[in-house]
Amino acid sequence: MSEIIIKTPDNLEALIECLVCANENTGLISGGTDFVIQLSQRKRYRGTIIDLSRINDLKYVKEDKDVIRIGSGTTLTDISENKLIKKYLPSLSQAAGQVGSTQIRNRGTIAGNIGNASPCADTIPPLMSVGASLKIVSGEGKIYEKTIDEVVIGSGRNNLKFDEAIVEIVFPKLSNDYISAFAKLGTRKAVTISKINAAVALKYSPKEKLIEDAKVYLGALGPKSFRSEIVEEALNNKIPSKELLKYFSKALTKQVDISIAGRSSQVYKREAIKGIGHDIFYKLFGNVVPGGDS
Amino acid sequence: MKLEFIVNDKHEIIDVYPGERLLDALRNKLGLTSVKEGCGEGECGACTIIMDGAAVTSCTILAMQAKGKEIITTEGLEKSGELDILQESFMKNGAIQCGYCTPGMLMSSKALLIKNPNPTKEEIKRAIEGNLCRCTGYTKIINAVLDAIER
Ligand SMILES: Cc1cc2nc3c(=O)[nH]c(=O)nc-3n(C[C@H](O)[C@H](O)[C@H](O)COP(=O)(O)OP(=O)(O)OC[C@H]3O[C@@H](n4cnc5c(N)ncnc54)[C@H](O)[C@@H]3O)c2cc1C
Ligand code: FES
Ligand code: FES
Repeated sequence: MSEIIIKTPDNLEALIECLVCANENTGLISGGTDFVIQLSQRKRYRGTIIDLSRINDLKYVKEDKDVIRIGSGTTLTDISENKLIKKYLPSLSQAAGQVGSTQIRNRGTIAGNIGNASPCADTIPPLMSVGASLKIVSGEGKIYEKTIDEVVIGSGRNNLKFDEAIVEIVFPKLSNDYISAFAKLGTRKAVTISKINAAVALKYSPKEKLIEDAKVYLGALGPKSFRSEIVEEALNNKIPSKELLKYFSKALTKQVDISIAGRSSQVYKREAIKGIGHDIFYKLFGNVVPGGDS
Repeated sequence: MKLEFIVNDKHEIIDVYPGERLLDALRNKLGLTSVKEGCGEGECGACTIIMDGAAVTSCTILAMQAKGKEIITTEGLEKSGELDILQESFMKNGAIQCGYCTPGMLMSSKALLIKNPNPTKEEIKRAIEGNLCRCTGYTKIINAVLDAIER
């Protein structure tokens, strides 16, 4: 343990200075809800740890003309309660509000959730469903943007270099006629790493009653969250109805069968995903299709 | 490494290892044994403390991350010899059996009441979702918090 050095930058310039000196034994910590457990289980290197949790400049949610910007150090509690996120990406608000427990949400950050790159990370499917990108700084002081899909490898790995850190998450503000929802399922209700999660974003105007441009992302069915075109097709150009819910559920089951064919979890997940489908469908269309609480 | 912070209204300076958890620093260096280690993985809530007004699990935080922060543990609830209302109503409502979860439950409930002095039953449930209790079945704990609000 004594071979560890901790650096605690409290602003962005100081962070970049720390990144300049980074090497392959350097690690980043934000809230620590993943990192500290990995450290105490000694799965972690001994080297320099850069603590990002003191950089207050990285805790914000801002609105620009076309995009929403989230500081990488924003906690999941703050994300779940934020009005802009509730307005522009309810699926992300719902996902953040369902992570772990109050204590974990108070401390865990959005960049940590992405950086940890778990197959069932809850904020990743909503962010992928709107093509979110990540603003990254490097030790050379450069700042660039990459899509979240490029950065997350999955199975607990990301492809950031040792002198790079995520500083901001950016996603486009969708127009008024887009709606979104998230649902998850785990073995234990309160504190659990979700076994399956899903986020849907789509265009629906009550006037035309037609679903268009559906984006569906499923998590915990592979190394990382992925897009399901089968399920998107099941929704596109349809009118929300109870029949559509059945059709949507079937498509979800079909996707599970394809993605994890032959795995022991297939039997459970192909059924469980119907509950997720039901949940998401009524979050999206509860005001136009009766039967939400059945 | 030197860690300077405020614990239960007292300015403290202690020496910690760089990789030391806040849980261990509070217990071993400051003798705050109300902070319990259950799972060591953020799951059980026995190590819950209040840091800058929010309930957090001290087993998932490095001691050095608490630099300059204000921390409350169950030891800090008692003010000039008098128990906090929450402590009294926990005792009165039979919300304590073996007691292992109690400090963590008190911290989660206290943090909730700091943020929201008038929570609903649902809000109380959500606040203590991350605190496991093997003995009471939770109802008595929820009632104790409700009772504390009324007083
Ligand atoms: C009891 C418990 C329950 C949980 N339940 C859930 C759950 O339901 N759903 C879920 O999705 N997760 C869950 N988690 C996992 C965890 O809480 C989240 O992944 C959280 O968002 C991690 O954020 P953090 O700030 O604590 O990350 P840290 O632990 O600080 O870091 C995690 C990883 O991300 C990297 N990282 C951190 N910040 C950055 C950055 N700015 N740039 C680049 N890389 C960075 C770190 O190097 C590290 O590898 C749970 C964890 C626990 C302990
Ligand atoms: S010991 Fe920290 S949550 Fe269990
Ligand atoms: S009283 Fe025994 S664990 Fe809660």
